[in-house]
Amino acid sequence: MVGLAVFAVYPFIDVLALSFSKSSLGRPFQKWPVAANYLALARDETFRAALVRTMIFAIPVPLIEMTLGFSVALLLHSSLRGAGWIRGVILLPLMTPPMMVATAWKLILAPAGGLLDGVLLRTGLLDQPISFLGTMPWAFLSVAVADIWQWTPFVAILSYAALQGLPEDVVEAARVDGASSSNILWHITLPILAPTLLAILLLRVVIAFKLFDLVYGLTFGGPGFDTTVAAFQVWRTALAQFDIGLASAQTIIFAILVSLVTLPLTWLHRYSEAHAG
Amino acid sequence: MMDARKSRKRPLGWFVAYCGAGLVIAFFVLPIAFLVSVSFKSPDQALSGHFLPGRPTLDNWRDTFQIIPLVRYLFNSVSVAFFSAILTVAFAFPATYAMVRLKIGGRFLPAFTLATYVAPPVVALIPLFLLLRRVGLLNTLTGLVVVNGLGNLPVAFWLLSGFVRRLPPEIDEAAWLDGAGHITVVWRIIAPMIAPGLAATALICGILAFDEFLLASSFSNDPSSRTLPVAIALFQGERLVNFGQMAVASITGIVPVYLIALFAQRWLVGGLTVGSIK
Repeated sequence: MVGLAVFAVYPFIDVLALSFSKSSLGRPFQKWPVAANYLALARDETFRAALVRTMIFAIPVPLIEMTLGFSVALLLHSSLRGAGWIRGVILLPLMTPPMMVATAWKLILAPAGGLLDGVLLRTGLLDQPISFLGTMPWAFLSVAVADIWQWTPFVAILSYAALQGLPEDVVEAARVDGASSSNILWHITLPILAPTLLAILLLRVVIAFKLFDLVYGLTFGGPGFDTTVAAFQVWRTALAQFDIGLASAQTIIFAILVSLVTLPLTWLHRYSEAHAG
Repeated sequence: MMDARKSRKRPLGWFVAYCGAGLVIAFFVLPIAFLVSVSFKSPDQALSGHFLPGRPTLDNWRDTFQIIPLVRYLFNSVSVAFFSAILTVAFAFPATYAMVRLKIGGRFLPAFTLATYVAPPVVALIPLFLLLRRVGLLNTLTGLVVVNGLGNLPVAFWLLSGFVRRLPPEIDEAAWLDGAGHITVVWRIIAPMIAPGLAATALICGILAFDEFLLASSFSNDPSSRTLPVAIALFQGERLVNFGQMAVASITGIVPVYLIALFAQRWLVGGLTVGSIK
């Protein structure tokens, strides 16, 4: 446990110290121009844009995944034949290494030989191939679609487990009273599950902020900087430009942003837990 | 009256449900199916944009294993996953027991442990790099085992606390009365009782380590410790990308986790869901 504390605290202190210093990857802690990195960031349009982009990704995409994932969970929960099949199949995207997810989607989205362009050209919907990964807004949407592919199953599996824990008698009573399926969903199922669903959403938002692999594999932050999210920007500053002082300052700002977004969600979760029957 | 409405609604409802199910399966299978298909295409077929290979060929499967040391990378990935999973569970299980049952650290430590998971891994990238370099573990499998093993501790804590909480506290109390120490209780009594939970946690943490890319790519720049995701990223970066070979390399990296999914589906789903459902 001491190990855990050291493992968690040490990097934080190290990053904080680095962020106040002029450090390269080869020679950390050369000078201490305490605020220089932060002042540089305050003027840095690229970094600010990366933060905004991260937000544009990390909030809507999990919401889409929640909607889709919960719908899939409802499908699994209905006494549909073949539900077991879906359950087996949706586990796969979740387990696929993200770099391989990127490869698979790259094959579909590639301008030359990609499946999507191939189909669109053959059906006559397109005259010329679109470079989905090289032009906006397609590049950003492509990363989002690959992420939805990978993470919707996560939401579906957790929501499905929550649905199975639903008290049967309440639902049954409502049905006997003549409530329609959609009424039961909106007025009974969703309110009861609200705390759990919020917990799942919170977890998904937290994970969405970590987005790196798909960007690296699909677009490498491009075209230009248009898909460069915060994690990718920090990585680039640290390990491609070797300025770890500046990268540390970026890290601190990024960590603050993540906290600012996830804290309200945590409060909301606590509130819903306290007020759910 | 109600019956009539039900029977009128039902066929349509089922139709929608089945269409939905079909779409769901198609969406989730399509990229993997296409990946498999491309692995059997010759380079010019791979550029055609058709779903199926016109004339399937095994060339990619033969060549890729000769061009890059895929077996070596696979071995590296599996080793990192296996040993880091053991490391994670060996640390996380006693720690979880101490926090959940013995209330060590009060409310703060469990909350703190989970909070460390909120931080994106890129936050730890720089300090870990400097640390590994100082102790000479850059470009080693040991380094990756340690980084992944410790990095997955919060996840393991989250999963295991669900399993530990389910056990009735009378069990530990009875053991203490019989004179058993904490270590005996943890490993001899609690561990066998939550064995499925430990297995699920180890599997999930192993898969996380297997899939991990950011840290692996930053801390190992050497074929001897390169993992599969890193190898595939490098392969992609090469100038002349051969789609078929890229597909073969990717499938090689996907098969191990899919085998686990196939044989341990129940444990995985149980492990994933126990933490979030109370």
